[in-house]
Amino acid sequence: MTATASSPAEVPVLVGEPELPDILPPVKQRHGISGFAYRHPAIAIGGFMLLLLILMAILAPFLGTTDPSALAPAKRTRSPSAEFWFGSDMMGRDIYSRVIYGARVSLVVGFSVAIIASIAGLVVGLISGFVRWADSIIMRIMDGMMSIPPILLAVALMALTRGSVGNVIAAIAVAEFPRVTRLVRGVVLSLREQPYVEAAVAAGTRTPMIIIRHILPNTIAPLSVQATYICASAMITESILSFIGAGTPPIIPSWGNIMADGRALWQVKPFIVFFPAIFLSLTVLAVNLLGDGLRDAVDPRMAKRL
Amino acid sequence: MDRRSFLKSSLSVGALAASGGIAAPAIAQGAAKTLKFVPQANLANFDPIWGTQYVVRNASMLVWDTLYGVNDKLEAQPQMVEGDEVSSDGLTWTFKLRSGLKFHTGEPVLAKDVVASLTRWCARDPMGLMIKAIQKELAAVDDKTVKWVLSKPFPKMRFALGKNNTPIAFIMPERIAQTDPFKQITEYVGSGPMKFAQKEWVPGAKAVFEKFADYVPRSEPASWLAGGKVIAIDRLEWVIMPDPATASAALQSGEIDWWETPIPDLIPVLKRNRNIKVDIADPLGNVGSFRLNHMHPPFDNLKVRKAVQMALSQEDYMRAVVGSDDSLWQLLPSFFTPGTPFYTEEGGDILKGPRSIDGAKKLLAEAGYSGQPVTCIVAQDQAPLKAMGEVTADLLKKIGMTVDFVATDWGTVGQRRASKSPPGQGGWGMFHTWHAGADCATPAAYNALRGTGDNAWFGWPNSPNTEKEIEAWFEAKNADEEKSAMARINKAAMDDVVYIPTGFYKGFQAWRSNISGVVGGPLPFFWNVKKG
Amino acid sequence: MLGFILRRIISTIPVMGIVALFVFSLLYIAPGDPAVVIAGDQATPQDVERIRTALGLDRPFLERFAEWSWRILHGDLGTSMFTGMPVTQLIGQRLEPTLSLMVITLILSIVIAVPMGVVAAWKAGSWIDRVLMGFAVFGFSVPVFVVGYVLAYVFALELELLPVQGYTPLSAGLWPWFENLILPSIALGCVYIALIARITRASMLEVLQQDYIRTARAKGLGQRPILFLHALKNAAIPIVTVIGIGMALLIGGAVVTESVFAIPGLGRLTIDAILRRDYPVIQGIVLLFSFIYVLVNLIVDLIYTVLDPRIRY
Repeated sequence: MTATASSPAEVPVLVGEPELPDILPPVKQRHGISGFAYRHPAIAIGGFMLLLLILMAILAPFLGTTDPSALAPAKRTRSPSAEFWFGSDMMGRDIYSRVIYGARVSLVVGFSVAIIASIAGLVVGLISGFVRWADSIIMRIMDGMMSIPPILLAVALMALTRGSVGNVIAAIAVAEFPRVTRLVRGVVLSLREQPYVEAAVAAGTRTPMIIIRHILPNTIAPLSVQATYICASAMITESILSFIGAGTPPIIPSWGNIMADGRALWQVKPFIVFFPAIFLSLTVLAVNLLGDGLRDAVDPRMAKRL
Repeated sequence: MDRRSFLKSSLSVGALAASGGIAAPAIAQGAAKTLKFVPQANLANFDPIWGTQYVVRNASMLVWDTLYGVNDKLEAQPQMVEGDEVSSDGLTWTFKLRSGLKFHTGEPVLAKDVVASLTRWCARDPMGLMIKAIQKELAAVDDKTVKWVLSKPFPKMRFALGKNNTPIAFIMPERIAQTDPFKQITEYVGSGPMKFAQKEWVPGAKAVFEKFADYVPRSEPASWLAGGKVIAIDRLEWVIMPDPATASAALQSGEIDWWETPIPDLIPVLKRNRNIKVDIADPLGNVGSFRLNHMHPPFDNLKVRKAVQMALSQEDYMRAVVGSDDSLWQLLPSFFTPGTPFYTEEGGDILKGPRSIDGAKKLLAEAGYSGQPVTCIVAQDQAPLKAMGEVTADLLKKIGMTVDFVATDWGTVGQRRASKSPPGQGGWGMFHTWHAGADCATPAAYNALRGTGDNAWFGWPNSPNTEKEIEAWFEAKNADEEKSAMARINKAAMDDVVYIPTGFYKGFQAWRSNISGVVGGPLPFFWNVKKG
Repeated sequence: MLGFILRRIISTIPVMGIVALFVFSLLYIAPGDPAVVIAGDQATPQDVERIRTALGLDRPFLERFAEWSWRILHGDLGTSMFTGMPVTQLIGQRLEPTLSLMVITLILSIVIAVPMGVVAAWKAGSWIDRVLMGFAVFGFSVPVFVVGYVLAYVFALELELLPVQGYTPLSAGLWPWFENLILPSIALGCVYIALIARITRASMLEVLQQDYIRTARAKGLGQRPILFLHALKNAAIPIVTVIGIGMALLIGGAVVTESVFAIPGLGRLTIDAILRRDYPVIQGIVLLFSFIYVLVNLIVDLIYTVLDPRIRY
């Protein structure tokens, strides 16, 4: 059996310069930030956008917001105005404030899922790659988990407990980590056959040493790229969970539940869905750009590896 | 294929299909005798005794018939019976079936079917249980006559057999009615005006009813469950649409004919459309409920319950539930349904006037409330409950209580509310629900109002005063006695804060203007509805 | 080859067993009680208890799992707690709409995305490339329900070209069937179009740098045969892989799409069943999903051997 793996993540190249022109242009090295931005425009643009969004989330209380969960049922579904910059929702809450504060939830969900899924996937993937007898058991379990559509798994997990940010993160992370496991295992298996690793093994180097010296450095790159895609997809999944009614409760604003709440009214009050949708799209766009750029930067041929 | 030619070809094929009467919108207009209806919820099971959701009741009303039926004044009128006789001591009831009653299989409806059906119903219905407790004999005298002998008079017999509250005393064939009342029937044969097309049933998506040609309607004009149920369509399709935006669009495009529960915020769009009519669905509306757990702190303390009661703003709840249309809701300083004959506001002043946040804080301090969290279990999959839950979280915070907000689904609320454990150990502090106004007109089928402590409905309020007055109501001999008993019930239940009504609200229904005969009521009535 | 297929099919049994056990235990510890939902709001706790006993919900976990597994081995998925219908029948009713939606989505995605990716790779770095790939990222970042509402509004309500919602079985005719699926499959397909377009572009770029393409160019072969015959064939493996793993995602997206377009498919059945805790139905569906997943990946592996004769099993 060979590679069925690869994942939505290993989707290469958005912008960038993977082509090798026949004649190299004259080398004109730039230095500093502008030079970096010139060489890696995707990273620069994506990173810059993401930085802005993170700043926005952190500085939310100072951006002219009010309490994002303060109700004012008498002022419900107002159109955007001086009082409500993005309008107000069905409970009279200020959508602008909810969107700005919502960045916290969406970003926290995205980053946490990416980090948790990566670490869990790394550990399990390494075990699977090095411990022969455990490999087939682990991979069968991973197959089993991957065969349950992530959204359904997340919904089922949400039914277990209450809707909270922590549970949304856990649910999505559980659904995402088998993919990371496969990726890491794939990298380990291909590296094990590299002459220098075989040499290290022959020289009697202990496994933890091999992992630290040879495996980890080569795993970090694909893993970090994968993590950015997981981050993006986690934010989308969060919105879908809210759509189904299994996401964060509305007293904690997230882009997903603002949209889910307003969706029935999209025909009459489109702004309720519109603003969070714009912010979600921009964020996912930024993260994807960053991921693409990272991949091109660390290894343009990574797609081939799996 | 590029986009333009794709659309062009789809247009021409669409036109072709329309002329041939195959395209979906064409079906809606072409075959005038099929009515497409979007019900309030999914018809997930179809045993009106076993499961008591309103949607099951509404569908069952087409397939099964009842001995009596209430009219729009909630008075029970004969439906399957020709007449009845009560012995002078009030202990023996004799019912005679009218002629021409037939089940969908062609067999006549016999007294033994009635006996079996009433027996099954009695085991599940609150009023049925009361009758069962005083029942001496329930038997068929001959094919057309049923005799019910009691040990104590039961003046509300006709209402019990004709009421629209679930479960309803539907008459089924004996072999079906012999099913254990706690197990589900699997065959859906009745003697009602429409047949259930079981083969076409896709739970969660579609349920189909066909006109029952052999049904003999009564000659009186129809009024709710009473009178002649004349079916003027051949086929009725219930289409389940979980997404209100979709249902709204489908009604606007004419893909469906009638939408039972359009959400209030979409009403302006529907009203603007010349092909759509909109009206109040049920004049009896709904009573919103803030249900407290009387068994555990903090709501075991009357002062804490009072604190919430005096601070709670029904206006906030109602706007959150029904939106900006003020004709849809009203303040409800009562446990009963406004507009019904015995409606009373006795003792309800605490819910009126300016809300007292400071008074609530003071009462909480007096009660020695020291920040125990209130576990609010809030169903996120039921729009009105979700909206009320958010208002509650805000309210409790305002009066200085600690909120433990458990966002979950209705299935979980349903299970968790049954737990008598302390809130921290799987129990709860409060939840929201609503009661249909039709159920709250009188104490007859009003479980949620009972104050029998451990045996009461979830929350287990212990209110001996309320109980005493409810008993008085059941024994009331005339309307005046009923009225004054209900006033005293309302006062007692307000004083003990059995639960807190969050307001009275109504909903709209909307239908295409080529449909006629739609009336308002506690359930959709399909008789006398015409298409085209 | 035959041995390989057999081995694969046999190796699916543990996968499905794991899935079954996992889901069963998940449901077992989950709160929520179907008896409550059945009994209705006015029911007394005693009523609920009686219903629970009648449904067998009061029996211990292992007993229920053992009984269920035993029945599965006899091909019996049990009956729904709510409808009383056999689970196989419930799933059977819903299979056609969901499969139709998936097949149309898959075809549509491939038809749109592969040329997009090829053109983007061919014109790499140009504005066409940027526009196409920008669109692909956009498709990735908008939730499917937003796309669905906008499509329904524009094409169904305003332009009146297509129906807003619903599903017509294939037996009612090809066009009525297809007509109802156009908007949902575009909405659902957005993510796949993005995914497949990106992977196509990437693999094409790799292939276009290979020597044999340069040779073909040098021989004076036209652009189109080079792109679509030589390059695409060799770039196909990653594309097929993505389509394979996309299946699980596709099923997830179908849940939302089916709600938005009121399609009576498996996705909605699943959500309804989870929310009501209709355990036998959830079990049956999850088994079906894992079976589909395993099957699709088997097919993908077989396609590899066709695409690349060097791969043997």
